[in-house]
Amino acid sequence: MNIVRFAGRALRREFRHGELRTLAAALVLAVAALTAVATLGQRVERAIVASAAELIGGDLGVSARREIPADYAAEATRLGLRSNRSAEFPSVVFAAGKSQLAQVNATDVNYPLRGVLQVRGGDGAERDVTAPASGEAYADGLLLSALGLKPGDALELAGKPLVVKGEILRQPDGGQMFSLAPRLVVALADAQGSGLLAVGSRARHKLMLAGDATALATYQAWAKPRLTDGAQLVTVAEAQQNLRSAFERGESFLRLAALLSALLSGIAVALAAQRYARRKIDEVALLRALGLGKHRVLATLSLTILLLGLPACFIGAGLGLALQQAVLSYAGNLLPTAAPPPSLWPALAAMVVGLAVLVGFALPPLARLRDVPPMRVFQRAIAMRPRRFDLLYLLPPLVAFGLIASQSGSATIASAIGGSLAGVAVATLAMGLLLIWLLRRVGRRLPGALRFGLANLARRRSLSLIQATALALSFTALLLLAVVGPGLLAAWRADLPPQTPNHFLLNLQPEQRDRVEQQLNALGAKNMNLLPLAVGKLVAINGKAPRAEDYDDRRAAGWINGETRLSWSATLPESNALKAGAWFDGKATEPQISVERMWVDMLRLKLGDTMTFTVGERTIEARISSIREADWTSFRVNFFVLLDPASAAALPHSFIASYWLPAERAAELRAISREFPNLSMIDINAILDRVRDIIDQVTSAVMAVLGFSLIAGLLVLIAALNVSAEERRFETAMLRTLGARRGQLLSTVLGEFALLGLIAGVIAAVGAISAGLSLGRGVFRIAWTPPFGAFALGVVAAVALVTLAGWLGTRSIARTSPLLVLRKE
Amino acid sequence: MSPSAEVILSASDVSKAVLGPDGKLQILDRVSLSVPTGDSLAIVGASGSGKTTFLGLLAGLDNPDSGEIVLDGNPLNRLDEEARAALRRRRVGFVFQSFHLLPALTAEENVMLPLELEDSGGDARAAAQKALAAVGLDKRLHHYPSQLSGGEQQRVAIARAFVHGPRLLFADEPTGNLDARTGRAVTDLLFDLNQASGTTLVLVTHDLTLAQRCRHVVRLDGGRRVEEAA
Repeated sequence: MNIVRFAGRALRREFRHGELRTLAAALVLAVAALTAVATLGQRVERAIVASAAELIGGDLGVSARREIPADYAAEATRLGLRSNRSAEFPSVVFAAGKSQLAQVNATDVNYPLRGVLQVRGGDGAERDVTAPASGEAYADGLLLSALGLKPGDALELAGKPLVVKGEILRQPDGGQMFSLAPRLVVALADAQGSGLLAVGSRARHKLMLAGDATALATYQAWAKPRLTDGAQLVTVAEAQQNLRSAFERGESFLRLAALLSALLSGIAVALAAQRYARRKIDEVALLRALGLGKHRVLATLSLTILLLGLPACFIGAGLGLALQQAVLSYAGNLLPTAAPPPSLWPALAAMVVGLAVLVGFALPPLARLRDVPPMRVFQRAIAMRPRRFDLLYLLPPLVAFGLIASQSGSATIASAIGGSLAGVAVATLAMGLLLIWLLRRVGRRLPGALRFGLANLARRRSLSLIQATALALSFTALLLLAVVGPGLLAAWRADLPPQTPNHFLLNLQPEQRDRVEQQLNALGAKNMNLLPLAVGKLVAINGKAPRAEDYDDRRAAGWINGETRLSWSATLPESNALKAGAWFDGKATEPQISVERMWVDMLRLKLGDTMTFTVGERTIEARISSIREADWTSFRVNFFVLLDPASAAALPHSFIASYWLPAERAAELRAISREFPNLSMIDINAILDRVRDIIDQVTSAVMAVLGFSLIAGLLVLIAALNVSAEERRFETAMLRTLGARRGQLLSTVLGEFALLGLIAGVIAAVGAISAGLSLGRGVFRIAWTPPFGAFALGVVAAVALVTLAGWLGTRSIARTSPLLVLRKE
Repeated sequence: MSPSAEVILSASDVSKAVLGPDGKLQILDRVSLSVPTGDSLAIVGASGSGKTTFLGLLAGLDNPDSGEIVLDGNPLNRLDEEARAALRRRRVGFVFQSFHLLPALTAEENVMLPLELEDSGGDARAAAQKALAAVGLDKRLHHYPSQLSGGEQQRVAIARAFVHGPRLLFADEPTGNLDARTGRAVTDLLFDLNQASGTTLVLVTHDLTLAQRCRHVVRLDGGRRVEEAA
C-alpha cells in the first residue's frame, strides 16, 4: 500500500472535521509566534552588529569629562587616522515661550566619521549632511514638536540663537532607546563660545577616530597608558555589549510571550489529536481486520498528521515574518540603525520546533491506536488493551521542557521557568476547582440557562478546567502588561510626596550659587537641596589599587575605571539613613568618608577600611566612618561617597541641586539659562515621560505577541469543544426531541461559556492583582491600589470573548436535528 | 461453481476463554470444523454461544488459547500479526452486521479500500465501479454512507468484500440490521456473487432461513459444537 497516497487522501477527506482544523490552527499559531520573536531578535542583533562603527560614530575613540588634550589628535593625524571632536551634554532649549530639555551633540566639521547624518530640510527633501555650520542646528522630530518648530525657525541654546536647518531623520551613535531627551546637533564652536563647555561642565568630550585597522591598533596601544582623570577608550565591542544588554531584557519578555503561545498551542494540539484518535478507533479496527498491520496503521496516521502539519508550519512562518515586520515598523525607532532584512533561518528553526510540538503532543494519543484489536469490528464492546506505562507518555513533557529550554537558553533557567509555569497552572487548576465548587453551591439560585450551563461545566469538569486554565494563563499575562505594569509606574509617580523635586541643576559654579538660588526662590522653587560636587577617581582600597576583575558586580568596573562623584555635608542629608558607624562630628584628626550601602556591597567594604581618591592634583585617603542607605527614589541629590567637610572644602568643585518648581514657571528658567549658559537644567518629568513612552512601545510589542497566546487559549477551548462534540450533539438532539426551543438551547450554551469566561477572568484578575500587590509592596515598596474598575472590565472582556468563541464553536451543534436520536437507535 | 474436496479452512479443538468479573469465562471449548473450498457454512447459535468469537478466530483476527486454525494452507497460530494481516488482505473479505463503511469515504472509495491496502497494481477505481455495478449501485458511486439506506450500505459492503477476489468471505449477521425484505435481497446478492466467484462463504447468523441456504450448518451452544447438518 502506498501509505503516502493513502494518508494524503485521508487528509483531504477529513480536513473538514473540526479537530484537524483546530490542530492546524494551533500549529500555525505556535510557529508564527516563535518565528516572529526569533526573527525580530536576529534582526535586532544584526542591526547592532552591522551598525558597529555607527554606534560610536567611528572605529575607536577617547572619551573624557574634560577636553581631550591636543596631543591625542596629533597622534591620530600622525598615524593617518581621520578624527572628529565632539561634546555631548544635556541642556534646555528655548523657543517661542517654551522650553525643552535636549541632548546636545556639539561637533566639529568632520562629523560623522561613520554612518550617516540624514535630515529633512524645510523643502521636505531628505539629504545626508555633515555637521551644521556655526549659527545652525539640526533637531529631531520630538524636539521640533515639543517646541512647535519647523526647519527654518530659530531656537535658543544657552542664550545663543540658532537656526534649525533640518529635522534629524537618522544619526549615528544611538537610537531613541538611549536618548532620554530629544536630540540637537550644533557646531562645536557655538557650544564653546556659549560657555556650556567651561571647566566643570557636565559635557562628555569625545575624540572619535576612523581609518586603517593597524593604525587604530597602534593608536590604541599609544593612548591606553596615557589615559588619566577618568578618560577612557571607546570601542565598538563595548558599545555592542551595552546595546545587547539593553535589548536582551526586552527580548526575554518577547520570548516568554512566544513560549506561552507555543505551550498553549501544544495543549490544543494534544486535545485535537485525542479527539481525532477517538474518532479513528472503529476505522482502525476495520483497517486492521482488512489486513493493515499495526505499525502501518501508526505510520499512516502519523503521516496524515505530518501532511497537515507541514503546510501549517509554512503558513505560520509566513505569518510570523509579517508580524515581526509590523512590530519593527512600530518600534523600529528604538534601534540605533535600520534593521537589516530578515533571514529565513529563524523561520526554519521555528518550523522545526513546530513539527516537534506536533509530534510531541499529537503522537501519544495516535500511538494508542496501534492497540485497537481487530476483533472490535465484530464486538464493539472490546476496548483497547490498557497500557500501564508507555514511554510515549513522556513525550509531551519532554517536548515542553525542550521548548522552554530553547527559548530561555539554558537548562537551569528552563527548569525554573518550567517549574513556575507548572506552579501557576496547578494554582489555576485549584482555583478553577474551587470556583466550580462555589458556583455549584449557589447554582440552584441561578437562572435556568446559567444553571444548565453550570451543570454542563461540572459534568465535563476535566475539560472545563483545562479550558479555564489555558484561558486564565493568557488573560493573566495580558492583565499584567496592560493594567498592572502601567498602574505600578503611575502609582510610583503619584506616590511621590508633594513638591518632590522635579528639576535638577548641574554645573553650578561657587561664584554663581547665591545669585542662582535667589532667582530660583523668586520663581517659587521649593525643597531645594544643594550639595557640592567634586569629580575624582578611586585609586586605592586599603592601600591597594582596585581591579574590576576582582568583583562580581559588572558595575564595579565602571566605578573603578571611571570617575567618582564626591560630595560632603556637615549633616546627614535627607533621604539618607545611617546604618553603621557615626556621622562626622568635626573632631576627627584624619579624613573620614561615609559610603552608601550599594558601594559597600559591591566593593565588599566595611567600617574602618580606607579609600583613596585623586581629585584634580590632590590625593585624599579617608577612613570609612559610617555606612548609609540612600533613598534613590526621593529625587533628592544623593552620592555614594561623602567626605567630611573639613577634608573636602578645598577641593575643586561645582554644585548640584534638585528643587521643585511649579509647572507654570518652568519656561522662566530661560532667563537663568541666558544669564548662566554653563548651567544644565534637567526637567525630571520630561525624562520620566520619555521612559514611560519607551516602556509603552516595548510593552505594546510584547502584547502583540501575547495576543497569540490569547488566540492559543481560545484554540484550547475549541479543541476541548471538539472532544465533547459528539456528546453535545446527542444531548442537543435529545433535548430537541423532548421539545426544547432553540432559544433555550442557545441560552444554555451562552450560559455555560459565560461561566467559563467568568472563571477564567476571575482567576486571571486574582493572579494579576496578587502579582501587582507583591511587586508593589514587596519589591517597589509603593502603596499600589488595584484598579478594580479596570480588572472588572478585564473580567467582563473575558466573559464576552469566551462566550463568543464558545457560541461560534458550538453553532453547528445547535443545528443538530432530533432525527439523530432515532438514527442512533 | 461447485465446492471441491480441498479444505480451505479448518479448526481443530479451538478453545478461547476471557477473564470476566466473576473469573474465567470459557467462550469456546474445543470446537473443530473443516470447510471445503467453494463451500458455504453457517455458524448458528443463541446470543452468547460464542459464534462471533469463533468467526473472529477463523478469520485470524484473534488467537485461540488452544487448538489450531488453518486458513488456505496457513496455520494461523504460527503467523505473527503482520503475516495474518497480509493473509487477510489478499485472501479474505468481510461483511459486517453494522456495515462498517468509513463515513468519510464515498461508496466508490469504500469499495476501493481493500485494493488500496494491497496496492498490487491495476486500476482500483475501475474495479470498484465494476463491483458497485454488480450490486446495482453504479448510480451511487459518489454518495457518502450517510446518504445511503441500510440496504444500500450493506450492498456497498458486499461490493467491498468481493472487489479484490478473496478466497474466503466471512459475514457476521449480514442481515441483522435490515428489515426482512431488504435482508432477503441482500442475502440473494451475497449468495449470487459467492456462487459466481467461487468464494468460500462462512457466515454467522441467528436467522435460520439464511443458515439453511448454506451447504453446511454448525451449531454452537455454550461454546461447544452441538450438531452439523448438510
